[in-house]
Amino acid sequence: MKKLIYAFLIVATIAIFGQRAQAQVIVIANPGVKSADVSKSDLRDVFTGVATSLKDGSHVTPVLLKSGATHDEFLRTYVGKNDTTLRAGWRSLVFSGQASMPKSLDSETAVVDYVAHTAGAIGYLSKATPHEGVKVLGVR
Amino acid sequence: MKRLLVGAMALALGTLPGTAQSLDDLNIQIHGYAIQGFLYTTQNNIFYANSTDGSPEWTEAVLNLTAQPAPKLRVGVQARYSLLGNTGNAIVLDWAAADYKVNDRFGVRFGKVKTPWGLFNETQDIDPSYMWALLPQSIYDITTRNADLAHFGGVAYGTVKLSPAIGKVEYRGWGGEAVIPTNDGQFADLIAAGNGPLNPMTYVIYGGALHWITPITGLMIGASDSKANKASVALTGSASESFAPWNNLSYFGKYEKNKLMVAAEWNRQVSPGTLVLNGQSSSVSSDPRAWYAMATYKVTDKLTAGTYDSQVIDHQVSFGPDRYSKDWTISGRYDLSQYIYLKAEQHFIQGTALSFEDANNTVLLPTSRLTVLKVGVSF
Repeated sequence: MKKLIYAFLIVATIAIFGQRAQAQVIVIANPGVKSADVSKSDLRDVFTGVATSLKDGSHVTPVLLKSGATHDEFLRTYVGKNDTTLRAGWRSLVFSGQASMPKSLDSETAVVDYVAHTAGAIGYLSKATPHEGVKVLGVR
Repeated sequence: MKRLLVGAMALALGTLPGTAQSLDDLNIQIHGYAIQGFLYTTQNNIFYANSTDGSPEWTEAVLNLTAQPAPKLRVGVQARYSLLGNTGNAIVLDWAAADYKVNDRFGVRFGKVKTPWGLFNETQDIDPSYMWALLPQSIYDITTRNADLAHFGGVAYGTVKLSPAIGKVEYRGWGGEAVIPTNDGQFADLIAAGNGPLNPMTYVIYGGALHWITPITGLMIGASDSKANKASVALTGSASESFAPWNNLSYFGKYEKNKLMVAAEWNRQVSPGTLVLNGQSSSVSSDPRAWYAMATYKVTDKLTAGTYDSQVIDHQVSFGPDRYSKDWTISGRYDLSQYIYLKAEQHFIQGTALSFEDANNTVLLPTSRLTVLKVGVSF
């Protein structure tokens, strides 16, 4: 019985901290983007190349991180794909003439800098990363 | 030799991911990919290659250049070197187009553009984008795909959002001229008999496709219909081949959830044709009715496995192995990195309606197995 309780506590702890880890990824956009928030489905459409605008009509351009925990967490939570699948999808759009490949940057600092200075840019980063000059979008 | 050099250069380029450049100031991007395949069959030779001995005669290399001078405007061009068996071995223009997307509801693409019928036609020649070494041949026949891939003209496209309870609809409408080059696989038997076409075959095509993105997350259901006007081509030896107007109808669906993807498609291409040789007319009509069902599962982040059953029956062909093709396939893809992947696939094929050309086989036997190994790089 004791073992069962310990096991339950461990699973519960992982689940709680797992959810907290999810909440650490934030979505940012250039201050020129009108929306204050974005739906999860719109976010998925933008980052898979299906859509190029948000519900309010703002034209947006996604920017990706090349790799890392924040990148994986964002894809898992908001896009529902892993890195390999996401890039395969973009390649099919690029090589069939339907889209340009989104920019992939090495660091979260570079993402902040790019989004702050590029009209319509939308990206993601860890909440802990300083993000002055960009707008944080709520995710519905 | 030429193909080996081109293939080697493309593979070498592809292994240098640093060459993937996004030239910020001009919004220019350069991408590419290359594949090298190996074919082995029991019984019959496939794809004009000596595959019963094992054949590396499958090489493709693609270079893509796009620029986005304005947020709503993109221009691009893509060139391809391809070799399959003894066909191809040339550099061709895949597409070259300008794309103006007003918003998500409406955009237009014109130039030489990909023709978006069916579930996979727009991407059937883009190897890095799917897990299979060969898409289901019953509908996406690699030996005759040149005629289907692209046309000179335009495509209008967009997405209409309906209510959340209904989902949304993606539409495509296209029109223009299709061109079948003189060395296309469709003419392989005629060329082997000394009656190859004198000019490319051209004809007007138009069509439309609807993809319903249902409110059930991950489920898409669609249909497309592509129509072609009559066409004819003069052949060597005072011969000719002509086709009455025909159409290409598809119904398809796809469902993706977590690591699983399942898809299915049904297709019919009614093609009434006549061949005139030495003053004698004979029918080259075909009425293939094809379908496939497929499933893939992402075993790990790098490994994907899948299977499909692909079948076609040509109702214009008399009973026998030449009337049908049934292909059960198991497949796997392993992504070594973002840039390099491996594919391995085993086909169990019954019937000779597809892929086994008379010109490449002394005797055609009713069953055959095909093993495909492939390495690909993309950047």
